[in-house]
Amino acid sequence: MRTINTPAITATDLHKKYGSLTALDGVSFTVEKGSIFGLLGPNGAGKTTTIRVLTGLTRLDSGEATVLGFNITEENLRAKARIGVVPEVSNIYEEMTALDNLIFSGELYGVIHTERKGRALELLEEFNLVDRAEDIVLGYSRGMKRRLTIACALMHRPELLFLDEPTTGLDVQSAHQLRDQIRRLNKEGVTVLLTTHYLEEADQLCDQIGMISSGRIVALDSPERLKASVTGDRVVEVSFSAPASERELAALLGVVEVRRLGDKFRITYAGMGEPVSELVDYARGSGLRVETLNTLKPSLEDAFLKITGTPPDEVLREKEQQKQRRMDA
Amino acid sequence: MRDQFEKALYITRKDIRVYYLKAPNFTYGLLMPLALYLAFGSSGNISATTLISGLISLVVLFGATSIEAVAVVSERTTGTFERLLVAPVTLRWILFGKALGGAAFGPILAILALVPVVLLSGARVASPLAVFVAVAVSSFAFACLGIVASAYAKWIPEAQMYSNFLRFPMAFLGGAFISIESMPEALRLFSRFLPLTYSIEALNEAMANTMITGTYLVDILVLVAFSIGCLLLSEKVLKKRLS
Repeated sequence: MRTINTPAITATDLHKKYGSLTALDGVSFTVEKGSIFGLLGPNGAGKTTTIRVLTGLTRLDSGEATVLGFNITEENLRAKARIGVVPEVSNIYEEMTALDNLIFSGELYGVIHTERKGRALELLEEFNLVDRAEDIVLGYSRGMKRRLTIACALMHRPELLFLDEPTTGLDVQSAHQLRDQIRRLNKEGVTVLLTTHYLEEADQLCDQIGMISSGRIVALDSPERLKASVTGDRVVEVSFSAPASERELAALLGVVEVRRLGDKFRITYAGMGEPVSELVDYARGSGLRVETLNTLKPSLEDAFLKITGTPPDEVLREKEQQKQRRMDA
Repeated sequence: MRDQFEKALYITRKDIRVYYLKAPNFTYGLLMPLALYLAFGSSGNISATTLISGLISLVVLFGATSIEAVAVVSERTTGTFERLLVAPVTLRWILFGKALGGAAFGPILAILALVPVVLLSGARVASPLAVFVAVAVSSFAFACLGIVASAYAKWIPEAQMYSNFLRFPMAFLGGAFISIESMPEALRLFSRFLPLTYSIEALNEAMANTMITGTYLVDILVLVAFSIGCLLLSEKVLKKRLS
């Protein structure tokens, strides 16, 4: 029986192996209706496999998953009719126009014939594509293709939307627009499950975050609670009137890490030491002036690093390298 | 089931719009059989009607298998195939829709080849409707064969290579250029396992007889059974590969 209280997704002890590689090793989580759930993790952690399982693309070895109350193995088509899926790489037909792509999606998802064109135009308007509606998609920019891919996934007004890396590769403005659209959809009642490498994006969008590593959920909580779980270290961001020595800063009492970020330094202190007075003293002694000094709360990035042991920068770099290798091939 | 059939037809229509004008379809579908026909067609000891049936069957074979190499493999490499897979339509009906798209391409090529050949040779077409049915069923069977080749391939050239592996032996052993009766016993038996043999035979029957013959009906049934077998095999292979 499916009630309005049925969770949007329940994943219970999901296991999946590809040959000798374990992709999912007992993944369990629940996504409540009306929420935005973020799945974060390093490359190869199992994010995409989890999405593929939940969207009916990959069969489980064991475990059980329900999507909107339907068992994804046994009631595959009924679940699929109610979800929208936006993969990491845009999957629209580039030889067709934007309007035709949308109408084709409407046909596949059983949108009533008389409503298809109207719904397509509504989405083209909403995603700022209406001026190019009759153009072949081949000439679209990456951001436009991304928006059209999402619009196609929304043709049948899904109750649950899967977004795999929705803003990867987009310029700042397009990514910003897309995040606004995700928030708006969620306000309209659409449940969203997204994966992203941009932790700030996850922090801004998600109600709940599941961190996945080596096929296991290693943390599952709200972004604020995850950040609060990183205790002990204090982080200070400081900039000086002239270049300072990274080595000298690292030698200050209690400093465990110094990272140069453009014209400033992010300094992590362990329990002991007084960051502010230490830095002011250092500046004075070196003939420098402190330009800015901010004490920072632990970020989601800190939580991610602590929980998964993988720096997010490295995740992104690895991702870019993989993309480059694919393009070279 | 009606809902799934409708969705399969939408896939067919989309494939027609997206893939019909791709260059490999015409080079492989029309030019290759014509080249084979010109190279080998006049050297065999077979009648003009059989040669025409052979040419039409070859055009349909090359055309329908080529379009599937593009329509299935390119969709898998660009990710659009997954767009179909996440939709509420089963893999079996997706493949059926794709096969119909390829099958619809065969008759177009067949007409392009048949009309000038019949006009030039003065050959008689006793039952145009039966010819059309034979072309349509053959085309569907060969499209399904193309899907099998595409199911095993990762790239379009690989799919074309697998298709050629199937197409060329068929072209020479299916009775298009060399009469099956004149072949050694073992090859005659082997030719009975080739769908092209039944396609040529059905076309021959339809071109020569105004009434539908038993041989024609058996040929059509064999082609239908072959199509179902190919669809089930490709479904099995793709399910395994995609998972």
